[in-house]
Formats: sequence, C-alpha cells, structure tokens
Amino acid sequence: MATLRDIKRKIGSVNSTQTITRTMKMVSASKLRRAQTELEKIKEYALKMEALTGRVVKNMPEDAHPLLAAREEAKKVLIVSIGSDRGLCGGFNANVALTAENFARQNRDTYERVGMYVFGRKIRDYLGKRKADIVKDWVDIKKVDQELVDTVAEELIGLYLSGEFDKIYLSYTYFASAVRQEVVFEEFIPIKTPEEAEYVDYICEPERIQIVESLIPRYISTKIYYSLIESQTSEHAARMSAMENATNNCGEMVRYLTLVYNKRRQEGITNEMLDIVGGAEALRGT
Amino acid sequence: MLNLEIITPEKTVVKDEVDLVEATGADGEFGIMPGHTQFLTTLRIGEIRYKKNGETTYLASSGGFAEVVDDKVTLLVDTSETAKEIDVERAKKAMERAESLLKTMSYDHTEYLLYEMALLRAIARIGVASKKL
Repeated sequence: MATLRDIKRKIGSVNSTQTITRTMKMVSASKLRRAQTELEKIKEYALKMEALTGRVVKNMPEDAHPLLAAREEAKKVLIVSIGSDRGLCGGFNANVALTAENFARQNRDTYERVGMYVFGRKIRDYLGKRKADIVKDWVDIKKVDQELVDTVAEELIGLYLSGEFDKIYLSYTYFASAVRQEVVFEEFIPIKTPEEAEYVDYICEPERIQIVESLIPRYISTKIYYSLIESQTSEHAARMSAMENATNNCGEMVRYLTLVYNKRRQEGITNEMLDIVGGAEALRGT
Repeated sequence: MLNLEIITPEKTVVKDEVDLVEATGADGEFGIMPGHTQFLTTLRIGEIRYKKNGETTYLASSGGFAEVVDDKVTLLVDTSETAKEIDVERAKKAMERAESLLKTMSYDHTEYLLYEMALLRAIARIGVASKKL
C-alpha cells in the first residue's frame, strides 16, 4: 500500500516528466516548422517532375529503357522503408515497419526474397529483431542532401539492374497535415506509367529516348529526396502530437494522484481523531 | 500569352504570364512564343530569358528539362539565379580556377567534365550578371 510519501514522490516524478514532454513538444513544433519550409521548397519540383516523367514515359515501348520494363517474373523484391533514428513519436516508425513486415509476411509464398532497404535506427532494430533480410541500413543521417540522395539512387538502380532485385517498393510517411500523416507504400522501380497521364506527342530535342535516359535518374533521386523530406516532416509532426498527448496525460495523472493524496491524508486525520476520541472516552469511563 | 513556370528544387522561381521564353536546349538555343507546338527538351547550362511587356528578364541556369504543352512552359531546372542574385566576384574566381585547372588536365581525366561544367556555369552567371546594367 502506497504511503502518503510515496504518492507525493510519484506526483513529483510525473510533474517532471510533464516538463520534459512539454519541452519536447515545443522543440518538435519548431523543428516541424523548419521541416515544413524545406518540404514546401521541394514539393512543387518533385510533383512536376513526377508528372513530367509520367507523360514522357507514357507509351514508351517497355524495352526502351531498362528501368521502364517490368520483369515478367518478379521473384525478388526490395522494400525501401523510411523512418527515423529517434523514438518517442507515437506510431510513426512502427507504422512504416509494420507495413513492410506485413507485406513480407503476406507475400512469403509469392516471392523468393523480400529485402529491406532501411532508413532510420528504429525501423532497422524492429525489422532486425524479426530477422528480416536487411540489405542496407542508413542511420545517423545528419542532413538530407544531394550527395546522399545520389548515392542512394545509384545503389537502388544498381540493385535493380544487376538483377539482385526485380522490383523495388518505396514506403514512407506522407505529411498530410500537422495532425495527420499517412504511410505510403508504392511501386518505385521499374517506373510505372500512371494511368491518368496523357500521351503527348512531343517534338523532342534530342531524341525522346535520350531525354528519358537523363530524366529517369533525375526523377529517381528527386523522388528519394522528396520522400526523405516528407518522412522527416512527418516525424516531427508525429512527435509533436505524441508529446502533446503525453503532456495531457501527465496533467490528468497529477490531478488523479493529488485527489488520492488528499483523500488519504484526510483519512489519516479522521482515523487519528477517532483514536483520540476513543481514548478519551475510554479514560472518562474509569 | 505563355504561362511560364520555372521551378528548382529550392523554390518556384517564376510563375508568370509572359510573351516570350528563350533558353538553351540540347541542340542549341530555342525560343517559345504562344501557339508553339508540344515540345520537350533537355536544357544545357546557360541563359534563360523571358519577355514580359517588352521587358526582358535574364536568369542563369545550370541545366534541367523544358516542356511546352498548350502554351504552358514548364522549366524544371537544377538552379536558376537572377542577375541580382549572382555573386559576380565568386563566379569570376570560379571561372579562373576552372580555366587554369582545365588547361593542365588531360581530356580523359575523370574530373575534366566536372570542371568543364563549373566553367560553363560560371560563364553563364557572368553573362547574365552583365545584363543587369
């Protein structure tokens, strides 16, 4: 049974936890703002690039470019999962990791091999514990820049072209708003032409195929860059709301504990008074 | 009127109605006026110009892609700077450095292309910056 002092100590500890979560929330809020401006910058370019690529590769014969042709038998697939190094952000990492894990489990019979290409310590640890086939992990990324993205793009293209994998999926958290983030899981390589893209009969300079050749690597690295930024933004947003919840829960807990504390204190006083009255009564009798 | 958009990974540089767009494509300079056919090209390092109400704006760009569809001109470029944003001193230094390095380098050196690009970028920047006056 918790004594009065235990409860008091507990209240103190919950209060200091609340201070921490509140601070973390504010830190995340300011990081989120910065990430959002970063996201704004790249978003327009990334979306236009995606749309342009869709239009340009539309109606291209499949054998025109190795990154366009879907292989008849996809036996080995790779999932690029983007998460974060740090936790305390609600279900942010778990959602992405679960998506990858579920995919691997559901398609265990379909595919010979489901590889994981992981960003972020949390997802790596999660999938590592479950004995997933981790091809490569990126942790401690200080800053997402062109150099990093180019390395990743080159590696992915290499993994595909060398035949090590027949299909590459991309999974990240899309930042819909500060309170809503969604896990995206989409086919990435080979590049699929979106249905809604319309065929445009361009005059091309130089030949269309040459444009496609320079456009595709650019598209792939842009897409990776964009997904990383989306994911980072989502991470901060997820952490912000997780910490907001934690702060509220702490407040509730303190209120409840204070109530228990006061009740207990009053109980003690009442008991003591009863003892005194009882004692006095007993004395008077003699 | 042409609906011009120049977009870099950093920001949307231009989103405007203009009369004429000129840029350097893979096979040389081209100009776009309203009613142009559907057109697709890669952009080389160089100048982008557009004219609006008789006023010409110059931009230095380091390559990318251009698309023209139904009087909508979309330029997706890696970088793009207006004359005001260009640091001429820096560009001149970059040009000198690249030039002197290129002179000593053999053609098949792995970094030859890199420096050549740097040189072209510097030349484009200086060219655009000089139009400011």
